[in-house]
Amino acid sequence: MAIPAPDTFADRPGVSPVRGALGRRRLPFAFRAESRLAYALLTPTLLVILFLVAYPFCTAIAMSLQNKMVGTPGRWVGLANYLELFRDDVFLRTAWNSVVYTAVAVGLKFVLGLTMALILDQERRFNNFFRTLLFVPWAVPVVIVALNWRWIFDDLSGFLNNFLITFHLTNNIISWLSDPGLAMACVIAVVVWAGTPLYSMTFLAGMQAIPRELYEAAEIDGASVVQQFVYVTVPRLRTIFLTTVMLSTIWTATNLQFVLVLTRGGPANRTEIFPHLAYTTALGARRLGMGAAVSLVFFPILAVLILLFTRRVLRPSDE
Amino acid sequence: MRSISGTRRALRWVGNGLLVMMLVWTLVPFYWMVVTSVKKDKEIYGFEATLVPRQPTLANYTRLFAKTPFVLYLRNSAIIAISTTLLSLVFATLGAYALARLRFPGRALIARGLVFTYLVPPALLFIPLFAVMSVLRLVDTHQGLVLAYLSFAVPFSTWLLMGYFRSVPVELEEAALVDGCTRLGSLVRVILPMSLPALAVVAFFAFTQSWNEFLYANVFVNSVEVRTVTTGLTLFIVEDVFFWGPMMGASFLSALPPLVLYLVFQRWVVKGLTLGAVKG
Repeated sequence: MAIPAPDTFADRPGVSPVRGALGRRRLPFAFRAESRLAYALLTPTLLVILFLVAYPFCTAIAMSLQNKMVGTPGRWVGLANYLELFRDDVFLRTAWNSVVYTAVAVGLKFVLGLTMALILDQERRFNNFFRTLLFVPWAVPVVIVALNWRWIFDDLSGFLNNFLITFHLTNNIISWLSDPGLAMACVIAVVVWAGTPLYSMTFLAGMQAIPRELYEAAEIDGASVVQQFVYVTVPRLRTIFLTTVMLSTIWTATNLQFVLVLTRGGPANRTEIFPHLAYTTALGARRLGMGAAVSLVFFPILAVLILLFTRRVLRPSDE
Repeated sequence: MRSISGTRRALRWVGNGLLVMMLVWTLVPFYWMVVTSVKKDKEIYGFEATLVPRQPTLANYTRLFAKTPFVLYLRNSAIIAISTTLLSLVFATLGAYALARLRFPGRALIARGLVFTYLVPPALLFIPLFAVMSVLRLVDTHQGLVLAYLSFAVPFSTWLLMGYFRSVPVELEEAALVDGCTRLGSLVRVILPMSLPALAVVAFFAFTQSWNEFLYANVFVNSVEVRTVTTGLTLFIVEDVFFWGPMMGASFLSALPPLVLYLVFQRWVVKGLTLGAVKG
């Protein structure tokens, strides 16, 4: 049982009076009443973490080293699944798609979210009302967003073609989701539609926390609007930019619902991304081991982001 | 000075213009969803498809309630989301109190683990969790889904509450402890009453995340009796043919609970969301 040096916690509030100054015999840290109470209170949370996240995560690694199918016990095959992946054209295509999809979607969400936040930070009547409306996509279940957009993109009767033809902007029916050149752009548009509010919410909250005096001072010093943005707003939002982008990258890269509903990876794997490939491999082709391997190949990149984020949000004062 | 106010005025007009464009971009999909749900099939498909319904009708909705198990799906979603919310509130309150107020070895590690756990994506966990559910015979049960949802609801809720409990002044609690209150007594009598907004936010997140969840619900549940609304929508896809009228009606109704909650809790929600990001 690890017993930390007493000094580490000496100046912390809430330290139990047990280790008082009178030289009473100290109980080992881990066995004190306070520690016992803490572990008791944390038991349900720890059980959830261990059995529903840590254990499945380890199982995923084990599965990825087996040729396990649904309903049959697996045989250990070492790295064979991973080696097969890197020889597979569909997988290489998927890897490239995933990178493009994530980078473009996150980039667009950032730019649109920042613009939206800047607009809502201006003084205007009914601004609260506009803000409420603009943030609404965030509250809608992702599957419903995706279904709704699939209907908007519908070839024959969807809103988009219907609108374009009614106003004579095009004479031909455009197959938005089954055109190899358009499908990925359409998927990204939907992801951006659904994901922008998260960015504008956090950016706007950050902007409104900046004291107005800073802008007034900058204006008196002759700073232009652009200079005020670059030298006052951006430095104060840097942390928020970073954490939002990290979180959103993780969530964007691993969300398979948009692709599942809109295109199922098609046409010709043009919109196949790794979480969806893992899904079809594990449940469509019933190759659980291979599916686990697909989802794990990309985990190192995500793990770096998660670690960076964890380090960011848990300042030294938390430890 | 003239040039600065000139720039300001120009910026205001650019801002207003962009605002209108963004409102259109945001609201058109909702318009299309609602409008489709009140059209007759004749106006939905083919040459006579309309942008504005000529003869609005509630036929899709009556069909939804009379001829499909949609109400059952709503009930299942409610049962599962409410159970997840209540359980994670209890678990998170206890755990967050320990992390915020008590000193014990491993505290920093557990705090770190919470964030890490919350960010491990479901896309990675659904395959092994499916195996776990099969072994525990929890496939196709409400309990199985609630268990799966706890895996994201508990870490997030605990983390959020931990931050909030810390902001409650220690002195108040010390006073209670000196007056002979136990630790748990002071949690219930001092900290919880001061944390009602945070508890509301946590409940909001746990509920909407469970209500909106699709992947686990899709993988762990097959039977009609247990199906939730998000997966129940596939009911309106028959052999790759989509029945858009009732489907948009069902989509609209299924999106309402999280939407209404968002409108009610709005102010607090943004605070909760930014808690992690704004810190530091």
